[in-house]
Amino acid sequence: MSSNDEAKKERSLTKTSVSDEVVIRFDHVTKTYHLYKNDKGRLLGVFNIHKAGYLGEVNASNDLSFEIKKGEAVSFLGRNGAGKSTALKMVTGVTHPTKGTVEVNGRVSALLELTAGFDKQLTGRENIHLRGQIMGLNKDEIAAIEPKVEEFADLGLYFDQPMRTYSSGMRARLGFAFAVAIDPEILVVDEALSVGDRAFQKKCIARIREIMMDENVTVLFVTHSSSTAKEFCSRGIVLDKGTKVFDGGIDEATAYYEQHY
Amino acid sequence: MLKTLADILSDNWHWRSQIGRLAVFELVKKSRGAVLSWAWFFIKPAMYIFCFWFALEIGLRQGSTDAGAPPYILWLAAGLIPWFFMQDILGAGVNVLSRYPYLVNKIKFPLSAISTIYVTATMIIQLMLMAALFVIYFACGMPLDIHLLQVPLLLAMMFIFWDIFSIMLSQLSAVSKDVANLMKALSTPFFWLSGIIFDVQSIPVDWIQTLLHFNPITFFASGFRDAFYNQVWFWENPTACLGFAVVFVVTLVAALFVYKRLHEEVPDVL
Repeated sequence: MSSNDEAKKERSLTKTSVSDEVVIRFDHVTKTYHLYKNDKGRLLGVFNIHKAGYLGEVNASNDLSFEIKKGEAVSFLGRNGAGKSTALKMVTGVTHPTKGTVEVNGRVSALLELTAGFDKQLTGRENIHLRGQIMGLNKDEIAAIEPKVEEFADLGLYFDQPMRTYSSGMRARLGFAFAVAIDPEILVVDEALSVGDRAFQKKCIARIREIMMDENVTVLFVTHSSSTAKEFCSRGIVLDKGTKVFDGGIDEATAYYEQHY
Repeated sequence: MLKTLADILSDNWHWRSQIGRLAVFELVKKSRGAVLSWAWFFIKPAMYIFCFWFALEIGLRQGSTDAGAPPYILWLAAGLIPWFFMQDILGAGVNVLSRYPYLVNKIKFPLSAISTIYVTATMIIQLMLMAALFVIYFACGMPLDIHLLQVPLLLAMMFIFWDIFSIMLSQLSAVSKDVANLMKALSTPFFWLSGIIFDVQSIPVDWIQTLLHFNPITFFASGFRDAFYNQVWFWENPTACLGFAVVFVVTLVAALFVYKRLHEEVPDVL
């Protein structure tokens, strides 16, 4: 572990240390989506009556196995539809694997589709309380993150307005501010760095870097840009059609990805 | 099957504080955007009760015939107020997953608990209406009676039964819109056929009476009437209790079957 550490320290921008504790384990995970011609076919299909209307199945993840240790920063590379987002969704627990097991130890904060997941009728402040409560934070913890979110999102008076009056950029800023304020143990970032104006993007990148410096935080990253992946991550996993085709150091992984796709 | 039941129970227990807070948020959301906000929870039911009282007692002269009987308005309110709860479940409660899409596929949250959020929120309104019913009860000059003790029991049964009902139907309606539409279409027939504005016991045809006892809406409406108006225990009518018990068990088994089958698939569909 120590020699591994030394090597990592030389990359001043990436993680400082990795422990041996496994926080995420995918064990032969397959996620199958069944496709139907229409909703009637689907209704019959879920009760195992596969007749007309069944078009076939797609494996978004296919026999996927990997382990991620505490403190690692891993980048998922692959083309659109390679199963990156499906894998990350299984990490966050909103989708269940069809076969195999997914094990996750720690509080997950996901930057998936930032603009979704807020209640449009409630104000920004209320949404922060609501999200905090759903994540199981207590009153004191919510009181502690509220000013952090308010400051980071920098929405001014709009923080106390209903979210339906927000622009998409403002919604994304609030979503990002919340996700990074709760001190996650596992941070999932799915193409989320392109929100807001340039000043805000800079702030986001600085904050993510700050989080990643914390040796107890594990980061999973999806991006199509090799330079961003290299900047943040130490390990890369390349996916193709739901299968893992490469797993290794980030430089080798991006090289492999650029060469093959 | 039993494992599914244990899962649902432990999920709901584990997330209880979130469920409670989200239920309050649901009410906040409902009352948002109106100056009279919370008053609307009372205005609609009050209008309903007044209309039926006017139409039936003043218009059709349907009210109580014997001189000593309690006022007709109490009989009406005791049946209509639980109906408001059930109407809400039959309407929005069976389609509750589309009300909280972000809890289904953006955040990890047990799907059965989403039904519990909505049923809890509706129950809070119901408790406020029950308080109003007690006001009507005492305003009618009725005495404090031991049969009122069955009210909390009936409320608890109503909560549990309709929560199970909502868990089952919301899973199905996530897969197919037909379910929610069917329930919407059935809401009015249920109201008129379930003995909410007539007394099931007074139907002269025996088999119709027996059939109606298998309708949980009838069971709750007449249960609350027993407590507030007739002042008897609801279990003094064994056919009604048996009918409800059968329906309860069938609903529970069907709900567990549906939940087990669907709950992992629903987030992918919605």
